[in-house]
Amino acid sequence: MRGAKRRSNLDVQRLLRPDFIGARNDNIKTFTSFELVYLDSKSKATIVEIKMIRDALEASVIEGEDRLDAMVEQVYASDLMSDVLAFGRPNSILLTGLATQQAVISAHMAEFKGVVFIRGKKPKDGSEKFARDNHLVLLSTELDMYDACLRIDSAKRRMYPETKTSSVGQKTEEMLLSHEFSIQGNDFTNAGMVSTEVKSILKKIGLDPKLIRRVAISTYEGEMNVVMHAQRAKVNLWVTPKLIEVTIEDEGKGIPDVELAMQEGFTTATEEMRAMGFGSGMGLPNIKKNSDELEIKSEVGKGTILQMRFFI
Amino acid sequence: MTTQDLIEKIGLKPLSKFEHRKVNGVFVSDMLSDVMASAKSGNLWLTVQTHKSIVPAANLVDVSAILITGGKEVPQETVDLASKYSIAILSTELPTFELVGKLYGLGLGSK
Repeated sequence: MRGAKRRSNLDVQRLLRPDFIGARNDNIKTFTSFELVYLDSKSKATIVEIKMIRDALEASVIEGEDRLDAMVEQVYASDLMSDVLAFGRPNSILLTGLATQQAVISAHMAEFKGVVFIRGKKPKDGSEKFARDNHLVLLSTELDMYDACLRIDSAKRRMYPETKTSSVGQKTEEMLLSHEFSIQGNDFTNAGMVSTEVKSILKKIGLDPKLIRRVAISTYEGEMNVVMHAQRAKVNLWVTPKLIEVTIEDEGKGIPDVELAMQEGFTTATEEMRAMGFGSGMGLPNIKKNSDELEIKSEVGKGTILQMRFFI
Repeated sequence: MTTQDLIEKIGLKPLSKFEHRKVNGVFVSDMLSDVMASAKSGNLWLTVQTHKSIVPAANLVDVSAILITGGKEVPQETVDLASKYSIAILSTELPTFELVGKLYGLGLGSK
């Protein structure tokens, strides 16, 4: 799909140049679309999950409960479907009072991710089925057009404050997305599935493939350590415009000597595990090599917490 | 050199469903952390490990294909998981040493 291609910095610059936005406005009397992009000091465009829009509008989900983590870059507010087709961009969400299948089809043609119906409207025709078949999210909010736009805009401002002094530690201000996973100890059948999921999520945002690879490898090694040496673990993935953080907190036997564990070649893997190709003693060293910051806290008999940070 | 070329030139057997891609070099190892540490994107990974965990490892390191040598049988579970993520699993009766000789002869290095 056209919109799914990762934007190069050149594309981003073109999107955000004032004359580019101005040129589009010359063709229409009123400014009916606004960007959910945030310019940080490096001029990178950012995007939000549909979940954030649902929460901001207190909207009900008509269709697509399982697709609320889809990312959108723009909200297009309009009741004129030919405008949507002419000016809408891929990976947007449509905000409209036209509660018919026509709106849903137009959004689909323009490669939007979903439609929000205002004033509590819900389409009565085959819209739901069409949305389901074409993987679109349908939401309905009680708010009218003006209030809905305001709510989304202020929610966006809370997430990306105009002042660029946000520090790396303020996760709640800048959070782009946050996911939680769990790993079962000794479950070699599913070992690696969490890191695979993390990779898919980061790929969807369109981050640099080399960065994704470093995060994926680190998460994988952390995941394998849980499977091999712990009972269970909780994994948290946080992404902000500046930083990716992966934390793995496990319940297990813990690490008696962290410095020793960090040595290449040192392993406490069993013969069985080694027969499967694990336990070469490269796990923690691999994580150290691939991450920008690594913190290990461990208590023997209780468990281990691994905090890995990757700067974007 | 693509995975398609190798399959034809050496006579490898594709087991999973995948898309052909360019092969950059060869990596030989049966230790997964080794692969995570040193295999490069696009490498052809030679191994005798056939359990499911080779699939996420291959996926995360982005190898062009996993080649199981020595005629080792690959469980359907592993093949199905590989097909799900479009990871190529190829199979050969030849032992690793001979395979490496053939690949080297075709001009593939370790990069």
